[in-house]
Amino acid sequence: MNKGVAITGMGIISAIGNNVEENYSSLISGNKGISRISKINTIHKNAIMVGEIAFTNKELEEQLGISPDNNYSRTALIGLVAAKEAIKDANILDIAAYKTGLISATSVGGMDMTEKYYYDYLESDAHRKYIEGHHAGDSTQKIAEELGVKESLVTTISTACSSAANAIMYGARLIKSGKLDRVVVGGADCLSKFTINGFKTLMILSDTYNTPFDENRKGLNLGEAAAFLVLESDALVAKENKKVLAYVKGYGNANDAYHQTASSENGDGATLAMEKALKVANLRPEAIDYINAHGTATGNNDLSEGRAILRVFKDAVPDFSSTKPYTGHTLAAAGGIEAVYSILALQNNVVFPNLNFTTPMKEFAIRPQVEIKEKELNTVLSNSLGFGGNCSTVIFSK
Amino acid sequence: MLNGELLYKGSEEEPFADFIKMAYKNLETDYSKFFKMDSLSKLAFLGADVLLKHENVVPEMEENIALVFSNNASSLDTDRKYQKSIEDNDNFYPSPAVFVYTLPNICMGEISIKHKLYSENSFFIFENFNPDYLYAYSAGLIEENKAEKVLCGWVNVDKEEYTAFLYLVTKEKTEIPHTIKEINSRY
Repeated sequence: MNKGVAITGMGIISAIGNNVEENYSSLISGNKGISRISKINTIHKNAIMVGEIAFTNKELEEQLGISPDNNYSRTALIGLVAAKEAIKDANILDIAAYKTGLISATSVGGMDMTEKYYYDYLESDAHRKYIEGHHAGDSTQKIAEELGVKESLVTTISTACSSAANAIMYGARLIKSGKLDRVVVGGADCLSKFTINGFKTLMILSDTYNTPFDENRKGLNLGEAAAFLVLESDALVAKENKKVLAYVKGYGNANDAYHQTASSENGDGATLAMEKALKVANLRPEAIDYINAHGTATGNNDLSEGRAILRVFKDAVPDFSSTKPYTGHTLAAAGGIEAVYSILALQNNVVFPNLNFTTPMKEFAIRPQVEIKEKELNTVLSNSLGFGGNCSTVIFSK
Repeated sequence: MLNGELLYKGSEEEPFADFIKMAYKNLETDYSKFFKMDSLSKLAFLGADVLLKHENVVPEMEENIALVFSNNASSLDTDRKYQKSIEDNDNFYPSPAVFVYTLPNICMGEISIKHKLYSENSFFIFENFNPDYLYAYSAGLIEENKAEKVLCGWVNVDKEEYTAFLYLVTKEKTEIPHTIKEINSRY
């Protein structure tokens, strides 16, 4: 029987907390992390709401003990905070003792610094150090160095909003195939004008709190976050007598084959991703106890994803909710933070509420779980659906 | 050219934009989305379209055909166009319609949309045409049952220089063996 790939540690930093414990406490008490933007001076500041991490870059640098002349982007800073927590949680004292890899997802990379200093680069060399921190792989390299991950597999995945889910999937496959004994998987994305303006152009940013699966949803709130999981082989778990938090039971990735940014009307890609994940997990749809939906609160996503859920689960749709009202849409990191939330749901036997929901959508009868609900959970399915039709599903189990 | 047979020939002097438009007309490709594509997508799309049509691939079948493409200019041709649209402060217009093509793998997306391919796809950037890699990657996809067929090749556009070389690998053996030597001889 396929029990899946063991998860032995997790770490997270988001708009609702700076570690796993704080995130859980916000989730069960219904504390949203959505507010007006304070750390980026954008002309859209009164037209959008975001999920910001409380700490400034300076505070993060101090916590991490990084010298002030560093060239860390905010993506790298928050990524390192979450990755370190995951390593600590997994009780890893000597990372070099086993063949350990790092797969990190990001879409923003060092764009926050580039947009801040772009014109300045031409005038003086004061901030040119950030040019090298621009590319997506830089934050991964920095995290790898700080963790001491060397001479194995260190790579970056950038497939829009499904990136971190794909990092988890890739990591799980590397463990299953025996290429690595241990792998740190997840992602980090900070807020930037680049993403604010980009999503603004697409006219999918809400000017108020995002409301997934609501008839009157107005779009998404962007958020920043980082989250990582530690996956370990069965042999390592047995040898070190490791505590297993949960398992990566199944995963699937599919191409929606529809449009560069929009999802297909009937959620073809999402349907395929969920079906593939169920097949890998060797589970029937009725075995899923809870769906952590992608649920971005855009008109297009929620309709497409809702229809896909109906196609897979027919008239027996399990409890589902989107946690985007808490954190905002954290883009490449979303699959990572929602993996942490799925594991927290399993550990505590609790379905997190889909906040801000009032009016059911007219296209279908399914409704998200709006109140916190305690029930025995054995399997949680998490969707991450990305631009370019890159759709991913990961199934977690006890 | 399709299997050694000339399908359409443009004139030597002709700019790419005219060539590809005439090729589209001559090959009787009826697909209105073609006109909004960038050069790389147009080239890859037309190449794939003639090949898949010849192989009787119809979208309704939703075949499991993986796409494995490569080139050395990535999406530079479109990147330059996009850069031009934002470098002049007085004439600043970052068009989302151009921006979406500033990635090379978008051309595979266009092919997937037309032919309803929900399959595996990867785009590699190599210095030069790399048949060894393409061979190993596509053979792997077929061996591991990730795909029934693999549409493979090299699609490159850099200013007025352009090349498209595509071939279809199938699970069933055909008269053309899938070997590195054979790929090289046809490139």
